Amino acid sequence: MTTDTIIRLEDISKLYRGVPAVKGVTFELKRGEIHALLGENGAGKSTLTKIIAGVVEASSGRMFHKGEEKSYASPNEALDAGIAMVFQETSLVPSMTVAQNLYLGSEKFLNRLRGIYISAQQFLQSLNFAVDPTALVETLGAAKKQMVEIARAVHHNAEVIIFDEPTATLTPEEKRHFFALIRRLKARGVSIVFISHALEEALMLSDRITILRDGELVASGETKDFDREKIIAAMVGRSLSAELYRQRDEATVRKAGHKVLSVQDISMGATVRNNSFSVFQGQITGIFGLIGSGRTETFKIVSGIYKRDFLRGGSIELNDRPVRYVVPREAVKDGIVYITEDRKSEGFFETMSIAENIFGGLLAADREKHAIISYSEMREAAAEWTRALSVRAINDNARVVELSGGNQQKVVIGKGLVQKPKIVIFDEPTRGVDVGAIAEIHQIINRLADEGLAVVVISSYLPEIMNLSDRILVCRQGRIVEEFSPIEATEEKIMYAAVH
Amino acid sequence: MDTKKGFDLFILNQERIVLAITAVIFVVASFGLPGFLTPDNLVAVVRSVSVLGILALGMAVVIIGRGIDLSAVAVMAMSVAWYLQMLNAGWSEAGALALVLSGVILIGLVNGFLVAYAEVPAIFVTLASASFVFGYVRSQIITADAVPVPNGHWLQSLGAVQFLDVPVEVFIFATFALIVFLFLRFTKWGRYVYFAGDNPVAARNAGMPVRPMLVLRYTISAILSFIAGLLTAASLHSMNTRVVNSTLFYDIVLVAVIGGIGLSGGKGGVRNVLIGAALTGILLNTMTIIDIPLIYQNLIKSTILLAAIIIDGVLNPRDEQTAQQGDI
Repeated sequence: MTTDTIIRLEDISKLYRGVPAVKGVTFELKRGEIHALLGENGAGKSTLTKIIAGVVEASSGRMFHKGEEKSYASPNEALDAGIAMVFQETSLVPSMTVAQNLYLGSEKFLNRLRGIYISAQQFLQSLNFAVDPTALVETLGAAKKQMVEIARAVHHNAEVIIFDEPTATLTPEEKRHFFALIRRLKARGVSIVFISHALEEALMLSDRITILRDGELVASGETKDFDREKIIAAMVGRSLSAELYRQRDEATVRKAGHKVLSVQDISMGATVRNNSFSVFQGQITGIFGLIGSGRTETFKIVSGIYKRDFLRGGSIELNDRPVRYVVPREAVKDGIVYITEDRKSEGFFETMSIAENIFGGLLAADREKHAIISYSEMREAAAEWTRALSVRAINDNARVVELSGGNQQKVVIGKGLVQKPKIVIFDEPTRGVDVGAIAEIHQIINRLADEGLAVVVISSYLPEIMNLSDRILVCRQGRIVEEFSPIEATEEKIMYAAVH
Repeated sequence: MDTKKGFDLFILNQERIVLAITAVIFVVASFGLPGFLTPDNLVAVVRSVSVLGILALGMAVVIIGRGIDLSAVAVMAMSVAWYLQMLNAGWSEAGALALVLSGVILIGLVNGFLVAYAEVPAIFVTLASASFVFGYVRSQIITADAVPVPNGHWLQSLGAVQFLDVPVEVFIFATFALIVFLFLRFTKWGRYVYFAGDNPVAARNAGMPVRPMLVLRYTISAILSFIAGLLTAASLHSMNTRVVNSTLFYDIVLVAVIGGIGLSGGKGGVRNVLIGAALTGILLNTMTIIDIPLIYQNLIKSTILLAAIIIDGVLNPRDEQTAQQGDI
């Protein structure tokens, strides 16, 4: 073992209720390197890093920290030893100030606010972070929150910092700041592990890359030996880029059918402002916008989940009939189905099986008005949709929480499609979904448009928008600002419209 | 709920643990306690949990839908006290019953409306309505703590009815258990209870009538409380309103939760109420035969309730943590 190795994992395995999440992985982190950890969802990336950071305990295997065998029982213990983990969702206390968060858990018995503001200010300046230590965390943007998280890690003299999907919620501008920061940390001799879905970032930023698949290490080496193709092939075991990044031409763009939805000047508080657009049958309308641009809110208004402003709220016409929904139930009855971006908190029913989840959609649609339900109907509906969407599970009685992200998403889609909608709104349909399932979900979406449904796809992932859409609408600051045809659109043009 | 085909015997859950404990207590008591395993005593056990069981059925419907109804005991005692008071004052049977029943339904509707539409937490709404119902009826309507059943009234004779040496309460409990079972399992409104209890936001977004169903659940709970009150009056020949300030409410929650109806919503069913009622009934009966003082009985019950909730939390963790931390 060389002296420039700071962490070494040997033959690490982790079982969750007997199911292996990590299988015999040997991993090495060198001093002062940026190490990208890649893999599909459920490949074991998070588990592996959580073992290093003491969040979970390995079932077997050994871990060496600076050459000594160690096993950290809690994140605090790991932090004291110089290993910090920055989670996907930040673990800051929103109602406290930046300085209070920095010193959280290391306060003196008598804690003077002024004192910690002064030392926090000095500390943040030494890191070159432009964050006001007296600002409340809840008022900060995603990038600044991340800065505070990082500052906290550095404040604890962390020599190893692990980032779990750090750039998922950042705007391009914020990403640039973040990358500069990572490089500064590296210059200070900090070793960095970062988990990412964005392959371009990994290739650009890292010194070495490790790729996991199904809990096993499939490739590891210097970044210069990898390219995009090679990484994808290693992640999924086959080459998918042709399916995911097709070139669009006249033949693959669907013509607009009947105008089913016409939205005029709708507004809701400060998030949706005088937004106008139309949706047509038989094609996919892609909505691109950065987080906070009001795209999700706009379509939640359309599907009755949110209510638009009562005065000057604009108008929505469904097949030339003005509508104003109070509850989603009315929208569902009119054939509008919204498939959420956040399946865990508002998509599926976690204590229930696949069959019950899909049946939930059927019961909610309430088409046949039967008071008495039929379990054979449930089994038939479940069988039909798990087959149509190729949900992979042991059987339809498997609980949804036990499935992978992609299969969970398919169940949520099935729960929506069983309601026989006329307009389907997909919000980030492939977020947290593995690469293999992305292609399948794209096929499902294309099939719906081919069958003549009006389909809306909201996404902040540009290749997805370019690949699927027959029309691309760009949302910025609560309204649609530009429309592109997928033939003429380029990633640069769309991004320019979304940002400026 | 459980739609699994076959029975996975190796998975421990609270329901099976409680069933096993019940069986152990039953066997030990049968051999160790003279007078336990006699027909009379066993009938007494079932009879003692009948009223509790009916109250727990209503509570189960509310808890599965991720709520709680603290007003159950107050509605049970005060509605029947009011009813008896009117009968004693010479009201006609139909008039008194109609008025009380509409009062009971009104309380359920108000509870449900405040929880569903005003979005006040259920625990505060029902606490307030319990105090209101008790205070209003006790101060404005009835004059003494206890109101007797008038002589010759059908409630008096109901208390004495027996089929095959089994008191009628037991059959009434069984009937309502069956009705609630059929409601929860085979009607779409019953299924909505589970969906809304599991994930209210997802249920609403999918187009289920989440709010009207909440109102329905609190109304069902109020009506079942009234029926439990009638049975209490039938067996005791009066309604003592001091029961509102007793620990009866905790017994109801004990029956519901100990059987495996998770307080986090979406879990359990009538079977769990029956199992909870069995354990509670046998436990209370053996403690009475051994002659443990009431204050110690409360201590034992509270310890068991706490243990049941902790075991439930350990065996069936909600996935909220993984939900917050992304993929495994």
